[in-house]
Amino acid sequence: MPTVLTRFKSLPVRPWLKAVLALLPTAFFAGALAAETLNTATSTTAPKVAAASTFQARLDESLIAESQGSAIAGAVTTVKRVDDEAFVRRVYLDIVGQWPTAAELTAFVLDPSANKRSELVSRLLEDRRYGENWGRYWRDVVLYRRAEDRALLMQGTAAQYFSEVLNVNATWDTIAAELITASGDVSEQGSTVLFMAQMGDPNEVASEVSRIFCGVQISCAQCHDHPTDRWKREQFHQLAAFFPRTFVRPVVVDGQQRSYAVDSRDFGPRFMPAGADANNPRFRPIEHYMPDLKDPASQGTLMQPVFFVTGQKLPEEQTDMQRRETLAKWLASPENPWFAKALVNRLWAELVGEGFYEPVDDIGPDRRCSAPKTLELLATEFTKQGYDLKWLYRTILATEAYQRESRPQRNPEDPSFAANCAHRIRADQLYDALLNALGLPSDDAVATGMYQQNPRFALGSPRAQFSRVFGYDPSSKRDEVTGSIPQALLLMNAPNLAAGINGRSTATTLGKLLAEDRKDESVVVELYLRCLAREPNAKELAVCLEHVKQTENRVEAFEDLLWSIVNSTEFLHRQ
Amino acid sequence: MSQHLYRESQVRVHGNRVIGRREFFKRTALAGAAAGALSWTDCISAQAADLRKRGMSCILLWMQGAPSQFETFDPKPDHENGGETKAIATNVSGIRISENLPEIAKLADKLAIIRSMSTKEGNHQRASYMLHTSYVPTATVRHPSLGSVAAHELADAACELPAFVRIGQVQNGGNGGYLGTAYDAFDVGGGGGRFAGAMGSGGGMTPSNTAITTSADRYRRRLNLLDRLEGAVENPAIAQAAADHRKLYDKAARMIMSEQMKAFELRDEPQSVLDAYGSGAFASGCLLARRLIETGVTFVEVGLGTWDTHQDNFTACKALCGQLDRPYAALLRDLEQRGMLDRTLVVWMGEFGRTPRVNPRGGRDHYPRAFNVVLAGGGVKGGQVIGETTAGGEDVVDSPISEKDLFQSIYQTLKINTHKEFMSPIGRPMKVVEGGAPIPGLTV
Repeated sequence: MPTVLTRFKSLPVRPWLKAVLALLPTAFFAGALAAETLNTATSTTAPKVAAASTFQARLDESLIAESQGSAIAGAVTTVKRVDDEAFVRRVYLDIVGQWPTAAELTAFVLDPSANKRSELVSRLLEDRRYGENWGRYWRDVVLYRRAEDRALLMQGTAAQYFSEVLNVNATWDTIAAELITASGDVSEQGSTVLFMAQMGDPNEVASEVSRIFCGVQISCAQCHDHPTDRWKREQFHQLAAFFPRTFVRPVVVDGQQRSYAVDSRDFGPRFMPAGADANNPRFRPIEHYMPDLKDPASQGTLMQPVFFVTGQKLPEEQTDMQRRETLAKWLASPENPWFAKALVNRLWAELVGEGFYEPVDDIGPDRRCSAPKTLELLATEFTKQGYDLKWLYRTILATEAYQRESRPQRNPEDPSFAANCAHRIRADQLYDALLNALGLPSDDAVATGMYQQNPRFALGSPRAQFSRVFGYDPSSKRDEVTGSIPQALLLMNAPNLAAGINGRSTATTLGKLLAEDRKDESVVVELYLRCLAREPNAKELAVCLEHVKQTENRVEAFEDLLWSIVNSTEFLHRQ
Repeated sequence: MSQHLYRESQVRVHGNRVIGRREFFKRTALAGAAAGALSWTDCISAQAADLRKRGMSCILLWMQGAPSQFETFDPKPDHENGGETKAIATNVSGIRISENLPEIAKLADKLAIIRSMSTKEGNHQRASYMLHTSYVPTATVRHPSLGSVAAHELADAACELPAFVRIGQVQNGGNGGYLGTAYDAFDVGGGGGRFAGAMGSGGGMTPSNTAITTSADRYRRRLNLLDRLEGAVENPAIAQAAADHRKLYDKAARMIMSEQMKAFELRDEPQSVLDAYGSGAFASGCLLARRLIETGVTFVEVGLGTWDTHQDNFTACKALCGQLDRPYAALLRDLEQRGMLDRTLVVWMGEFGRTPRVNPRGGRDHYPRAFNVVLAGGGVKGGQVIGETTAGGEDVVDSPISEKDLFQSIYQTLKINTHKEFMSPIGRPMKVVEGGAPIPGLTV
C-alpha cells in the first residue's frame, strides 16, 4: 500500500499539502523519512512488547500469557501492527467519530515523533467531538432499551448531558451517581434519561441499572430463579426496592402537556388499591412488592432495598433520595468488581472490536470470560485511577491488542484478540461522514434551536431521521448488526444525497473539485482522501480512470464515482 | 442469538457461493430487460401458479389508538353505556353490529367477531407492543412483531419485495427484534422528511428511496462501477462485510428494478376496483395490501387512526368507520374474488377497547378488560361471534380471550409452529408466544 509520503513523491503537490509543508521546519524531512523507515520496520516484524515498564505493556503480556497453549501466541506474530495511516483513520473514528482530513492524515504520517500515536490520542481526547461522539453512544445505550417511544423526546438532552460530562472527564462513578439520583424536567436534565426510558417503572429501572453499570442481566430473575445464575428472584426485587419512590410524571403548562419530570414521592399509598391497574403509576405504592406468582392479584411481599452483589442492606423507611444515593455509592464501591468490569469490558469491546465477555451487557460470575486475568488487571487499575475514563481510553488505545491490523469478527473456534476487529460505524458517525464527503451543511444547529422550542421537533431532524434507518443498539454484538434494504436504498437513492453528489453545483464537494483545473487522477485521489482518508490503490485508480475515459460526460463520470464510494463497504466500516 | 438464527439472519452463508461481479451486473441488467419484455398482467399470470404453491399470508388492519367496541362490533343500543350508536342486522341472522359499518355488515358470513378479548394493558405504547408481539415490553428482550415472525417463517424466497410491508403510521408496532433487522417492517407512506425520498405518483404509496435518481442505464453503470471498485479493494478486514454488502445491494437493486415494484402503482387498477375501495389513505393502503399479497409479500400491515376518542367519541368513530367500512369490505370481496381469501388471514384490531361509561366530554377512555378483534379469511370460519359481554359491556361473560390466546389462534391459522424456540441475544430460549391456547372452533 503506498503511503501518503510515497505518493507525494509521484504526484503533483496538492495545495493543502503545500500548506502543511510550509508549516514544517526543514529539519523535519530527515526526521519524517526516518520515522517512515521506523514505521515500516515495526509493521513487518512481530510486535515486541516493551519491558513491562508501562501498564499497557503488562496488559498485553497478560493477554498473551492467558492464551498460552491456544493459537493466539502464534497468531499475534502474524497479525501486524497497523501502519500509521490505518492507525490515524481508526483512532479518529474511535475517539471523535469522524474520518481524519487529508491534512490531518499527512501531518500525522510525516510527524517524526516516536510518541506520536499516544500524543494524537491525548489530543483527540481533548477535542469536543470526543464527548459528542461518545455522548451519542451512551444516549443510544440507554434509549435503545426504552419502554416507549415517548422517551425519544429527550434524545437531544440526553446526548448533550453525556457529551458535557465526558468532555470535562467526569469520572464513571460520578456519571453513574448522577444518572441514578437524577430528577427534574427531562427536557432540561439529560441525566434523567435512565428513568424516562423506562417511564419510571421500578422493575425496568432496576434491570437497566444492573445491565448498564454491572453488566449483569439480573432481570431474568424478575419472574423466576434462573437455572444457572446465582442471583435469585428475591434479589432482583430487592434491587427494584431502591426505586419505588421515583416517578415520571407529565409536566403540564397552561393546560398543555409540555414535558415529563422525574420526581421523588415519599408520601403516598403504601399498598396498591384493590383492582387498580398495576401498570398505572397513579396507583403505584411507594414501596416495592415482589408479586406472588401463585396469586398475581394479591399485594405480594414487601421488599427492602438490598444490593445483590455485596448484600448491603438499607434500613427501613428510607426516602427516595436516600435509597438512590446509597445505591449509587454501593454500586461504585471497590467491593463491587462488576462496576469497573462492565465499563472496561464495554469500552474494550468498542475499541478492540471484541469484548472479554459478549454481549457486553451480559457478564458476571456465571458467564465465560475470554481473558479473566487481563480484565481483572485492567478493571482493578481503572478503579485505582478513580474511574478516570480518559485514562482508560489512553490505556486501551496504547495496547498492542488495539493497535493490531483489523480482521473480520473471528469465528468462535479461532483465538481471541489476535487482531482488532472491523465493525460498522454508528449512524451518527456515518451521517457526519456523508455530510463531509458531499460537502452538505450540518443542520445540527437548526435542530438544536428547534429542540429548545419543542422537543418533538428534534425527532424530525435530518440526523434523527437518518439514525432511525441506520441506528443500532450499541450493546448488541457487532457481528449481529447487519445492513438493511432501507439503508441501501437511502444511500443509493435519497434525493438529498443525490443533490450532494451533483457535480454541477458550486456548493458540493464534487462541484468545487471539478471547477478547479485538475487532472482526472488528482480528482480521483482527492475524492478518496476526502471520503475514505486514503489514496486509491493502483487497481482502483485504474478502474476509476477507465470509467472516466469510457463515460462521455466527465461530470457524470465523477458523480458515478462519488456515488460508488459512499455506497462502498469501506465507507460504512471502521477498521 | 442461536446458531440457527444466526445463520438465517446473517447474509454470511458459508455454503452458498457469493455471486461474482459479472453475475451481479448481469442480474441487474436482466431485471431491467425484464421490465421491458413482460407486461404486468403477464407477470401476474406467471405468478398464479406460484401463488398456489405459496403458504399463508396475512393482512393486519391496525386500528391505532384503540377503537371503541361499542361503535364497531359490539353495539349496546339497549343500554345507557351504548350511547347513541344503533345496531344493524348483518347477512348472518342473529349477528348485529354497529350502524357505522353497513358494508361490513353485508359480509358478516366471512367474519369471526371476537367480543371477549381481554388484557391487562391500558397504556397505548405498551399495549400496542403487546398486541403486535403477545409480550409486554421489557428492556431485556425485543420481541419480534407479528409481521416479522410471519416473514421469518413464511416468506416466499421468489418474491423480490420485502416480506413484511407496513403502510401508514403505526406507533410501537415493533420490528424484527431478536430475529434481526432483516425482518423489520418495510415502511411505506409513513410520512415525509428529508430522507423519505421522493414519493412516487402511484397515489402517494411508493416506498421511500425506491425511485432511482438517474436514468436506468446510468444506474446500472453506477452499480457496475461500485462492483468493480469493491473488487479492487484488497482488504481482508472487510472482505466478509463486502460479500454481505454485495448481496444486500444486489437484493435492493433487484427489488427496485423489479417488475414487482409495479405492485405499488395503484393507478394501474381498473377504475371499477379503485371505486370499490373508495378514496383516502386507508383505502389506498388496503388496495396496496391486496396487490402486495398478490405479488408474493407475506405480511402487510395497514394503519388507521387515531381511535383515541377521549372526547366526542360518537362523531369521531362515525368518521373513522367511514374511512374503514368500504375499503375493509372491498378488500375482503376482492381477496375472495381472486381466490386469495382462503390463504390470506385478515386481522382487524387495535391495542385495547374503550370504557363502557361515556365520560363528561362525550368520550370513552381506555379499556382493556373487554374489547373486539375480528378475523376473516385464512380458513377462519365466518359468520360466528366468539364470546359475549355483559349487557353494559363492562365484562366478558364467558371465558376471556387473552393476547396469548389470540396469538396462538393467529399463528395456528397461519400454520406457524408456536412450539419452536428461538434464542434471545443473551441466550434465553424464547417462543413466539408463551402460553395461551388457540380459540376452539375458530377455523373450518
